[in-house]
Amino acid sequence: MEKQLRFRKGDLLAAALVLLAAILLFLCFLPRGEAAYAEVYLHGELIQRLPLDRDSEITVCDGYTNTVTVSGGKIAVTASDCPGADCVGCGWSSTPGRSIVCLPNGLEIRIVSGQSDVDFVVG
Amino acid sequence: MTKTKQLALCALMTALALALSYAERFLPLQLLIPLPGVKLGLANVVTLVALYLLKKRHALVILLLRCFLGAVFGGGISGLAMSLTGGLLALGVMVLSRKSKLFSIYGVSILGAACHNTGQILAAMVLMNSVYVAAYLPYLLLVALVTGSLTACACAGVLKILKNASISPS
Repeated sequence: MEKQLRFRKGDLLAAALVLLAAILLFLCFLPRGEAAYAEVYLHGELIQRLPLDRDSEITVCDGYTNTVTVSGGKIAVTASDCPGADCVGCGWSSTPGRSIVCLPNGLEIRIVSGQSDVDFVVG
Repeated sequence: MTKTKQLALCALMTALALALSYAERFLPLQLLIPLPGVKLGLANVVTLVALYLLKKRHALVILLLRCFLGAVFGGGISGLAMSLTGGLLALGVMVLSRKSKLFSIYGVSILGAACHNTGQILAAMVLMNSVYVAAYLPYLLLVALVTGSLTACACAGVLKILKNASISPS
């Protein structure tokens, strides 16, 4: 038992494994291109595309209410009544490939670059 | 260790895990690291202590009770899905990595913390129907390196103190 509580070399292996996984994953999701749009999904369904070069604000309401704000080329969830408000805690982002998520509300904001295969969204 | 003692310890540790995971919400760690779901993982200290002090099944029961009671006390369904997948994956990996005898409690805890985050992200990917959520994982894994080590420190301390109080593994 005593022995198990003391740091040993094998632990560095564990740390190295986690670090390696982090680096590999980071490279997989490296941002590509300029951020152009933010796609707003509710329960996996695209409900709106917001151009990041135009300031705007929308409210998404489904159980909880999220206020999504675009300002100065960046996007954030600026207000939410969901428990924890992790989505607001994410802060502002403009990195393509990054997404801001509000799990309790089923909201995902995906930042995409340039052209997307969606021409336009109706509704 | 007698059965009564085991039962009392399990109950005590469940209550402690629940209290810690609740208290953790008031630690504004996200001001320091602005990522969703960044936590110290204090409740993991309890899982780890349970794993080293009691039997595997006790650790599992404590974990399950903590997740379900946590959902009742305000975590909600999505919180339950995330803490269950994260917690179970972490416990599974911690049991295996301890069995491998390669690591001390530090390695076991780091791997556990990393798997907890991985499990949570997997649950979020399913719930959100999106792969992009995984873009958070590298950052969460780096945080897990730190929090995992801290958890192990706390756990090693607790186990030593408990041993002095003549509570040691059965």
